[in-house]
Amino acid sequence: MEYEISLATTMAISVLFALSLNLITGFCGQISLGHAAFLGVGAYASGMLAKAGVPFLLTLPLAMLLSGALGIVVGFASLRVRADFLAITTMGVGFLFVGIVRQQDALGGEMGISAIPDTGMSKLAFMLLAVAMAAAAGLLSTYVRRCWMGRVFAAIAEDEDTVRVMGIDVPRFKLTAFALGTALAGLAGGLYAQHLKFIAPDSFGFIESITVLSMVVVGGIGSVVGVSVSAAVLSVLPSWFQVIGDYKLLVYGGLLFLMMRFSPGGMAALVARIFHPDRWGSK
Amino acid sequence: MSALLSVGAITVRFDGVTAISGASFEVKQGELLGLIGPNGAGKTTMLRVITGVVRQSSGTVLLEGRPLDGLPTHLRIRRGLALSQQIVRPFRDMSVIDNVALAAGADKTTSPVKALFRTGRERELKIGHQLLSRLGIERQANESPQIQPMGILKRLELARALALEPRLLLLDEPLAGLNSKEARLLADTITEINRSGTTIILIEHNLGEVLRVCSRLVVLDNGVKIADGEPEAVMNDATVRAAYLGTGAAAQSGGQHAAA
Amino acid sequence: MLYVELIAQGLIQGSIYALIALGLTLVYGLLRILHVAHAAFFTLGGYVGVMVANQTGSLAAAIVAAMIVAGIGGILVFRLCYQPILHQPPFVPLIASIGLYIAAEELFRIVFGPSGLTYKYAFLQGQVIAFGSLRFKEAEIAVMLGSAAIIGVLSLLQTRTRIGVACQATVSDPQMAESFGISLRKVGDINFFVGSALAAFAGVMVSVLNNMVEPTMGSVPSYKALAIIVLGGLGSVRGTLVAALVLGVVESFGTIYLGHFLDRNAIAFAFLILVLMWRPQGLFARS
Repeated sequence: MEYEISLATTMAISVLFALSLNLITGFCGQISLGHAAFLGVGAYASGMLAKAGVPFLLTLPLAMLLSGALGIVVGFASLRVRADFLAITTMGVGFLFVGIVRQQDALGGEMGISAIPDTGMSKLAFMLLAVAMAAAAGLLSTYVRRCWMGRVFAAIAEDEDTVRVMGIDVPRFKLTAFALGTALAGLAGGLYAQHLKFIAPDSFGFIESITVLSMVVVGGIGSVVGVSVSAAVLSVLPSWFQVIGDYKLLVYGGLLFLMMRFSPGGMAALVARIFHPDRWGSK
Repeated sequence: MSALLSVGAITVRFDGVTAISGASFEVKQGELLGLIGPNGAGKTTMLRVITGVVRQSSGTVLLEGRPLDGLPTHLRIRRGLALSQQIVRPFRDMSVIDNVALAAGADKTTSPVKALFRTGRERELKIGHQLLSRLGIERQANESPQIQPMGILKRLELARALALEPRLLLLDEPLAGLNSKEARLLADTITEINRSGTTIILIEHNLGEVLRVCSRLVVLDNGVKIADGEPEAVMNDATVRAAYLGTGAAAQSGGQHAAA
Repeated sequence: MLYVELIAQGLIQGSIYALIALGLTLVYGLLRILHVAHAAFFTLGGYVGVMVANQTGSLAAAIVAAMIVAGIGGILVFRLCYQPILHQPPFVPLIASIGLYIAAEELFRIVFGPSGLTYKYAFLQGQVIAFGSLRFKEAEIAVMLGSAAIIGVLSLLQTRTRIGVACQATVSDPQMAESFGISLRKVGDINFFVGSALAAFAGVMVSVLNNMVEPTMGSVPSYKALAIIVLGGLGSVRGTLVAALVLGVVESFGTIYLGHFLDRNAIAFAFLILVLMWRPQGLFARS
């Protein structure tokens, strides 16, 4: 039972993390190739605070705050650069995060932080907390898409210049997407640090950023259900099939490529195409 | 009638090339002003200066006597401008009605926080449907813009601009790409919009329709204003003929084909 | 003397970056795709180079073989992977390319093993003394001279031959060129062949320099090369060359003076982000 609980916790954290990126990339159309840095900010913040004696549950909002604040800073970059330039800038942010953390003795350098104090919760309670947070992120995403903010996000994703001539303050909406998405990533990071009790810079590098992007893309950019399912499945795939453990990255890479090559709308579009072949929305 | 918009001595330079030099004109409340000129005259650049997409090197733009200079585009729109773009840009992943409703919800999208706590859009859909039927594209309301012909898309672009309830509507070549019958019908619609109280600046190459619907013309050539006044008087002006036909041709033919 | 040495090391590293980044620029100029998988041809070049060199004992044969194999591979990637998705929004080919690169890197690991291969013969390992007391490996000199020569020949071909001019025209305005009857597909083939062959040449030279090839040897240069073409203004060949050399020098100074605070990659990307915030279109934007 312990193994299943741990697996479910991993799944929930991945779903939360993937949904956080989906807010930025899926809803608002701002590509990020460095999202794992914000998982890292949350993880380091929560881990360091817990080691300093701050109660676990209090470290989570603080992790969100710090991660969201840094997210707004990166969001400002998205106001300066666009599309391909933004992709490379966010990739740079990812490398910068890992590069800085690696050289800081205060953050454990290359070795990272270990022996993060216990949360005082049972494994089951912790899993339930993670699942509740993932569910809350799912509900929030669904709500956002149905409110006016979501409508503006969708329009920005398609053509931000036109949104601007509709009298909408595009920069503030973009910054909001970054703030929300990175704060949620920070929350996922806090849970991640407490779940594993050990974190190191390499857990938040480029590969992790691509992994979460692949979860979003495979699920279907912008689709809350699709992204949740694909994040849940992809996060535990390696543990379920021990055989593919060694080929994990080959499968990720291959899936990512094949999905884009044959169904750029991800699984959600694939499903839509099978069930509603004549609906105009499914390309 | 007072000036709704006044453009004062606008000069625009890009990398040393002067696109507009010292152009001034006014748009009066309730007018349908035609802004015309040969290709490359600076008409679209002028529109971009008014909307704030391009910054002028010198000069000033006043809307109802208040300067717009330095304001970002979205705040100028909030002051009462709306733009229908030359190349139609509907949101292709939304239905036709959703496109218009988004614009009609301007008061719910002033800030992200406000937008986060507002969900309903009955009012916006109602306004949207009214606008679509006013422009004669109600039948396409729930369809995707992706499958619509140019004539419908031009009207959608116009409906979306009108949904902002502008005091000054800027139309950048709304008739381009339409056949003569469609162009005539849309020009009539534009006249109707103007008659019901919206002031309009119309940039258009279709001189036949411009002369038919506009009450006044401003002519730009090489970034300089060369004429301003009643359509007939403007088209009989020797400088205007020369700009359209080339100096030699104007001198020889007497500009008989200026309006063609 | 330290400065001279740092500049020299930076230029050597920079010319390797330039060789890799040139291919990316050619592809970006033509297709507007960030071709992350390009670095797979750098790695492929290294592997083919080592294997051919160990079989034949000739470095020249290794270089030629690596360039041809990678060049053909480049054409295949263009035709099979990119051409069908060119009409999609830009993130689609970008993510496809990242996927392709990750899969390729894993394939190298699975096929050739994680620990890599080494040369049986010593190529260009002698020392050269220049500028007074500075010592260089022969391979380092070869990298600099080789890339200068190749880039020189390329720019001659580009301006002096029909097909070169056609390629250049297509890269600066694909639609216009097509309306003049230049085949996008043919130019694509040439760009991918040349770009991938250049990366393979760099791969062989780096493998000689380090006397080894490994599956992950392409990953860091791959991301660096992306930073470089963005720095250079995306699609500008001259910008790419300058940005590559500048980045090489910035890194070699940065590791000395900022190394305790940032690692080498972080220095490169910090520089990139600073430049982009100052000039969002890169150092040499094309209009």
